[in-house]
Amino acid sequence: MASRALAVWQNRKVVSLLVRRDLKVKYQQSILGYAWSMLEPLAMAGVYFFVFGMIFQTNRGVPGGDDAPGGYLLFLISGLLPWLWFSGSLGESPRALITHSKLITTMKVPREIFPLAGVTTRFVDYLFTWPVLLVFVFALGGQTTWEGILLWLPLAIVVQFSFTLGVTMFLATINVLVRDVERIVRILNRVLFYASAIIIPSLMVLDSDTFPEWFKTLYQLNPLLGIFKMHHTVWFPEDAPSAFLMSTTIGGTVLMLIIGYTTFRRLETSVLKEL
Amino acid sequence: MAQPVIEAKGLGVKFAVNRRRKRSLREMFIHGTKRDPNAGSTDFWPLRDVSFEIGEGECVGIVGKNGTGKSTLLKLIAGVLIPDEGEVTVHGKVAPLLELRAGFNDQLTGRENVNLVGSLHGMTPQQLEDRFEQIVDFAEIEERFIDTPVRHYSSGMKVRLGFALISQLEHPVMLVDEVLAVGDKSFKRKCYEAIDRMLENNRTMVLVSHNEGDLRRFCGRGLYIKDGLLALDTDIESALSAYNEDTQAEIDARKNNKNKKKKNNNDNNDDDGDEKAA
Repeated sequence: MASRALAVWQNRKVVSLLVRRDLKVKYQQSILGYAWSMLEPLAMAGVYFFVFGMIFQTNRGVPGGDDAPGGYLLFLISGLLPWLWFSGSLGESPRALITHSKLITTMKVPREIFPLAGVTTRFVDYLFTWPVLLVFVFALGGQTTWEGILLWLPLAIVVQFSFTLGVTMFLATINVLVRDVERIVRILNRVLFYASAIIIPSLMVLDSDTFPEWFKTLYQLNPLLGIFKMHHTVWFPEDAPSAFLMSTTIGGTVLMLIIGYTTFRRLETSVLKEL
Repeated sequence: MAQPVIEAKGLGVKFAVNRRRKRSLREMFIHGTKRDPNAGSTDFWPLRDVSFEIGEGECVGIVGKNGTGKSTLLKLIAGVLIPDEGEVTVHGKVAPLLELRAGFNDQLTGRENVNLVGSLHGMTPQQLEDRFEQIVDFAEIEERFIDTPVRHYSSGMKVRLGFALISQLEHPVMLVDEVLAVGDKSFKRKCYEAIDRMLENNRTMVLVSHNEGDLRRFCGRGLYIKDGLLALDTDIESALSAYNEDTQAEIDARKNNKNKKKKNNNDNNDDDGDEKAA
């Protein structure tokens, strides 16, 4: 495995080329180009703010209370932007190998770089949305801490990247052999969105009497919950994940990476024949 | 022979044939192996037990009927297929001319594609800049088209650009799969010259082709692959004549069969005629 990691590292240039190509293609074809990266989260935030913030009054669950700096709107935005990174990657993951079949069948490079490039492209897209986030932070008076910027943000990004990569390798490989995956992904995308405390603060589940204990445990077994709580913690220190949640998040991420990678390696031979 | 550049030991690849369809997840997880729709399928070995060594500067032609695993063999050497048996070692980088348009993205322009695919194959930006003119010249693509998205190119243009680019790579090993069949006469001549130049530079080449002229022209050695096995490993003339003999034998056999059938039919007709006459 170490030698494969080295091989991928030696081919990091190829990854960056693929990422740049994908971004170029994406932004070249549309008139608004880069603006789309911003418009999509903005539109989503608007809709969710209307439904959950104004109608269902979800803001009572915002960590740090109703008048926390930034309020529910910042809570929404700071979760939605990294969510779009994850859901975009998840949506593309089944085709991560298939779309590159021409390159894969003619060029000798470690095949891992294709899922890696897919996740990285989406990650760069996410970085591009940071200006939007900052505008909201300043406009809404959001506040952060050193701990938030130096610990929680990098940690959230690293963990999310690893988790997404594991998922992508797993689904991309399976989908070459059995095409059902593409359908499952659409359902997963929806379920995980509501299960990961992006629009509904996790306190509203964890502190509620409506749900039985087993459900709360199950809820916390989702690594994405921890990941998005970390993203929120950057702006809402009260939202810091508990030790239990951190262990399930990091444990789950490591497990996902291992599952993704082993699946990828074990099925690589058959995948190459199918492509 | 000097240190071999390509070493193959007992190479084998298997494909599952008779696979009616891909299994769905439900079948995989819930029914296990019981309801596998491919249960009746058998393994098929397009290539098996192939061993050879190719030294530096050699040009080796691979001949054989369609579907006997020639392209599979090239893919194994290129490292884009993983063998199920045996192993193949290649010392040095490989410039694969397996499928020329490979890697070109339809949305990007010719220039962007050349830069992208060139760097994917390990060319430095400096090399690319130096050779860009040459590549475009070679491909005979007019100045005004080079900044047009590749999706508007004719298939000939794409192939020419691909060949022009790959032939600029300085990798020690070249794999060529039937690509000389494309292109018009004048382009073909240029390809020949380019390949000659590469061979002069002591580069190793493996060529798959059905064109005996091409094979005789470039190759010193021939591998004849028959039914997935390496039948002969000799000079190109012997390989070609063995291949031709087998082909001739097959044609004769077919003809004989046909004749026999015809004869049988004729006999029957004769019988009918006789009966009527009687």
